[in-house]
Amino acid sequence: MAGIKTIIGLSFILAIGFLLVILSAALFKNYLTLLVVATYVIAPLPNWLCGRAANHDDFMESSGSGVVDFGRFLTGFFVVMGIALPALLYHSATIEGGAAAMSVVGGLLIYATIISFTLFFQEDQDF
Amino acid sequence: MSSNRLFRFPKPAWFNNANGRTAGVYTAGALFSLGFYILIDIASWSHSALNGSDAHVTFVDWIPGICSALGMLVINSIDKSRLSADSFSYSGNGVAWKARLVLFLGFALLAGGLAGSVVVLVMKYVVTSVVLPTLWLGIGNVVANGLVMLSSAVLWVAQNMEDEYTYNLAL
Repeated sequence: MAGIKTIIGLSFILAIGFLLVILSAALFKNYLTLLVVATYVIAPLPNWLCGRAANHDDFMESSGSGVVDFGRFLTGFFVVMGIALPALLYHSATIEGGAAAMSVVGGLLIYATIISFTLFFQEDQDF
Repeated sequence: MSSNRLFRFPKPAWFNNANGRTAGVYTAGALFSLGFYILIDIASWSHSALNGSDAHVTFVDWIPGICSALGMLVINSIDKSRLSADSFSYSGNGVAWKARLVLFLGFALLAGGLAGSVVVLVMKYVVTSVVLPTLWLGIGNVVANGLVMLSSAVLWVAQNMEDEYTYNLAL
């Protein structure tokens, strides 16, 4: 299912997301909104890292699931941070309202791309 | 297991599955992030051009948030299964007692953070009759500490869910 069309569509969405965020920074000559890109790029990282670090062999002890839960906690933290950061900057009049809206939408597009990419191509990593 | 329930209504089935647990942990992270960024928001708003008054966020405003975050860290680093550890013969002496003591400290820090934020709101902003745009500095502090407390509660419930889930799996 996950063929060449999926890859093309996802890359289009990713490009539109980056376009929106970069425009929101460049149009208003205020490059603080680029932080949103960094936020959404590192948002899936804790899940992957903690998924590797967890101990899957142990069934009786729940020692591994604490690490996985911590990764999920951090992911939830970063996803909300991507929305909260432009809202915060807009509230303290550091960036314009248009820049805030564009960076939020662009960041959500970037994050949706990353998530759906991992969803589509997760089958290959199974063993 | 179901015969020695206490309440008349059974626990709903979705309460115990793994997806509910995962969603709970994500929700807890999101709530904590919201609280944290409300704290950052009142700090940045206080020093922006929008704040015309003399009231500013100082270190005093940060203390309740720090207490709440520490309390949340303490509560959620305790292994919940150790709370009933004294009923097992193989556990060491007084593990449950220590767990309860540390847990009590965590809850005291959390409640102290929320109470402290109300104290900051009243003593620093309401008593000195600060009006609404600047009063947000105090209200936001209370909201942020409440969100951290809510996040902690959600995380607690989610982790207990996980324990019951693995228990059912083991049986």
